[in-house]
Amino acid sequence: MAYPLTRQLWRQALLVLALLAPGLAQAAESAAVTSPRVTATLLSSRDAVAPGERFQVALVQKIAPGWHTYWANPGDSGEPTRIAWTLSQGATAGEIQWPAPKAIPVEPLVNFGFEGTVLLPVEIAVPPEAKIGERLTLQAAATWLVCEKICIPEEGTLTLDLPVAPAAIVAEAAQSRIEAARAALPAPAGFRGRLAAEGEALALTLPGLPAAATELRVFPLSDTLIDHAAAQEVRTSDGATVVRLARSSAFKIAGGEIAGVLTYREGGLSRALTFAADVEPALAGAASAPAAPPATVRIPLPAEGADLTLWAALLFAFAGGLILNLMPCVLPVLFIKALGFAQLAQASRAQVREQGLLFLAGVLVTFMALAAMVIALGALGTSVGWGFQLQSPPLVIALAVVMTLIGLNLLGAFEIGTSAAGVGHGLASRGGRLGAFMTGVLAVVVATPCTAPFMGAAIGYAVTQPPLLGLSVFLSLALGFALPVVALSFAPGLLRLLPKPGRWMLILKQAFAFPMFATAIWLIWVASVQAGPGGVLAALVAVLAAGFVVWLVGVTRGSGRGRLASSLVAVLVACGAGWFVVQSAVPEVAQARAGDTQAWSPERVVALQAEGRPVFVNFTAAWCITCLANERVALSRQEVKDAFAELKVVYLKADWTNRDSRIAFALAEQGRAGVPLYLFYPGGKGGQPEILPQLLTPDMVVSAARRAAGKEVRTAGR
Amino acid sequence: MKAHLTRQTFIAGLALAGFSLAAAPALAQSAARIGAPAPAFEAVDADGKIRKLSEFAGKTVILEWTNHDCPYVRKHYNSATMQTLQKDMAREGIVWLSVISSPVGEQGHVDGAKANELTKSRNAAPAAILLDPNSKVARAYGATTTPHMYIIDGKGTLAYMGAIDDKPAASAASIEGAKSYVRQAVAELKAGKPVSEPSTKAYGCAVKYAPVS
Repeated sequence: MAYPLTRQLWRQALLVLALLAPGLAQAAESAAVTSPRVTATLLSSRDAVAPGERFQVALVQKIAPGWHTYWANPGDSGEPTRIAWTLSQGATAGEIQWPAPKAIPVEPLVNFGFEGTVLLPVEIAVPPEAKIGERLTLQAAATWLVCEKICIPEEGTLTLDLPVAPAAIVAEAAQSRIEAARAALPAPAGFRGRLAAEGEALALTLPGLPAAATELRVFPLSDTLIDHAAAQEVRTSDGATVVRLARSSAFKIAGGEIAGVLTYREGGLSRALTFAADVEPALAGAASAPAAPPATVRIPLPAEGADLTLWAALLFAFAGGLILNLMPCVLPVLFIKALGFAQLAQASRAQVREQGLLFLAGVLVTFMALAAMVIALGALGTSVGWGFQLQSPPLVIALAVVMTLIGLNLLGAFEIGTSAAGVGHGLASRGGRLGAFMTGVLAVVVATPCTAPFMGAAIGYAVTQPPLLGLSVFLSLALGFALPVVALSFAPGLLRLLPKPGRWMLILKQAFAFPMFATAIWLIWVASVQAGPGGVLAALVAVLAAGFVVWLVGVTRGSGRGRLASSLVAVLVACGAGWFVVQSAVPEVAQARAGDTQAWSPERVVALQAEGRPVFVNFTAAWCITCLANERVALSRQEVKDAFAELKVVYLKADWTNRDSRIAFALAEQGRAGVPLYLFYPGGKGGQPEILPQLLTPDMVVSAARRAAGKEVRTAGR
Repeated sequence: MKAHLTRQTFIAGLALAGFSLAAAPALAQSAARIGAPAPAFEAVDADGKIRKLSEFAGKTVILEWTNHDCPYVRKHYNSATMQTLQKDMAREGIVWLSVISSPVGEQGHVDGAKANELTKSRNAAPAAILLDPNSKVARAYGATTTPHMYIIDGKGTLAYMGAIDDKPAASAASIEGAKSYVRQAVAELKAGKPVSEPSTKAYGCAVKYAPVS
């Protein structure tokens, strides 16, 4: 308790300092740039900023009656407002967070823009290295077009000069204005639309829009999609809302998806959502011109994956692949590989290299196959994500069986391959070629549930790109993953570091059996979460049957007729067990566990926010090790629970252990293809969530909770 | 299955019919289509003569929607890029028609004398300036902005519609390094190739339309 108290004291000391020091707490709004049509200022939510924090500023345009400025897609004419930033201290500025536009008719044309007073919020990131005591200068060179019937291009440079202090000082009035504007920003739609051709026109299908929505209007971000002035005809079909849109005369679609904003009224209230829609492949191909220029404006997604460039994605993927080697699900498999090398240390260099390359081949082939499946299913409109194969209970059980068999093999219960000669001879020689390849395959299959840090963004990027780009990201991931083993096989120097074979190897080999059994236990637990008690029974029966089969084959090896009979029995038992697994391991409907968490749904988030409650959403899955680790080391800690209780945070869990397209949509919306994902929504309608890192600490969660609850002051150097 | 399809087709047909009625003005406005015959028109030019599209049969025709007070138009005239383009096109034997669709009382409306004076003072070189104060030509082509460019090939087919270049901004600095869609289309037509970007999003000020009379 002493700790928060000192924090409090610090804050008060700073506040006093702020009042005493002239010029310290006066800069929340810049000098105005004024014309007869627009008065523009830059508004800051801070009187002083802290190193390492992110905060909001807003370009405020007070527009004279009858005049308007423009949205990201200006419609039939016009030009969006643009800001070019010059920031000191190495700070960076995000994109404009566009409010929902209005359709402004200029008969017979239609523009998309704003009237009255509009706030365009922008997030500023202060680097941790910002120097305390110096000043952060924000210079926004803004240009905008303001039109009535006639148009005037205007521009102005707006400057804010804020002190850098150990803790941020919130400019209360400005903060509440900006937060009100942000609360009114379009919220992410909890669904993904589809855009298809409908004769000469387009049909935009929006599942999950409330049936009571009226006055629906679609504002696409691209200005080459629809005829902005044409009527938008709305109908319902199979419970989904379908909007018929006339094509733009310059019709063109860049990439496989479109995005935009929907506005509608529901129960007398105006609502706005940001949406994305998959484009029917035929339609994307039919776009009139080749090589569409990349869209220069898009809605800023607060996601890691949203703004990645290809090179960054490739780099992240490579790094992610490397780190994946250290994950608990992969480690046992790599033990085997390392063991193989230890045994091969005496063998010829060429042989070792061959092993390394075969392992690489196994990794690449499997990764590419999985990636192709994810991308192909995605193109077909099925929402799957990374790790989706582990959403099938029979597959999880099969993996558990494989793990058990590897464990038994390591313990020497039976030998794979030729008559048992030397220690692990089977693995090293005859099992050699196929073995090395299969090790690569196995390593990838068991690795996929561990979406390691860095990989989330890269995979999120990959699945939203054209197939070829997506595959190249996965290729980079595979190369990173295979690198340590391949490097080991190519560097004789490294190999020499491995100790010589001997008795220690037998012991080590046996010891390696236990991580395998541990993995098997974990997988059976996953099956129990997915399919309930039936899943556990199926898994244990499968393990029993597998054990019996290998024992039977081992015992009858070498005896001619007995061998035939035993093979027959073995096949029958294996088939029977397989059938039993598929029959009994039927996924259960996911339900919330643990008393203090509730099941997630987009509606629930909206409703809770409207009540002013901050909302924490944990996107997780039983097969995701990183998720479980975070729950153990951060989310279930007492200090986090206390903070949640004190700040009235509602903890929602989105459990992706089994397939769930709503969760897949929600992940995609944040530019992710897999779990974990942690979102902290501020209390207050429409507030955008903060994305927490993929590896959590209790401190991180608590301070995010404080931010979400509007307890803003964030101490530096935490 | 079949019955289902038929019903869907029927509903789609109904929807289409309903839509066509509702959006009749919008459809009429975008009647100009790439690859289709360019809408015929008749308009008085700045010298008081009646000009028709048909009189230019066999020639390539460029339509330029303009409004001398629009900042986007001024960008292209003040930098002389528009005049250079007009002269280069004239040298190629192409007919350049500037179209002014602003009605009386709106920005950009001019009479013939003023139009000719503008041409002289700006050193512009259109073959003719068409005065369209009741916005009939603009409606026929679906012109939305000034500038908005249309290219009609020698067979009377609409070969290009859209922006003048790929820099949709009002600032003078945006001229530098801009790709001229018009030059590109004309060069491709001349080479007997299909126009690679036949339809782009026009940018600029809204065309000031006269109310439908």
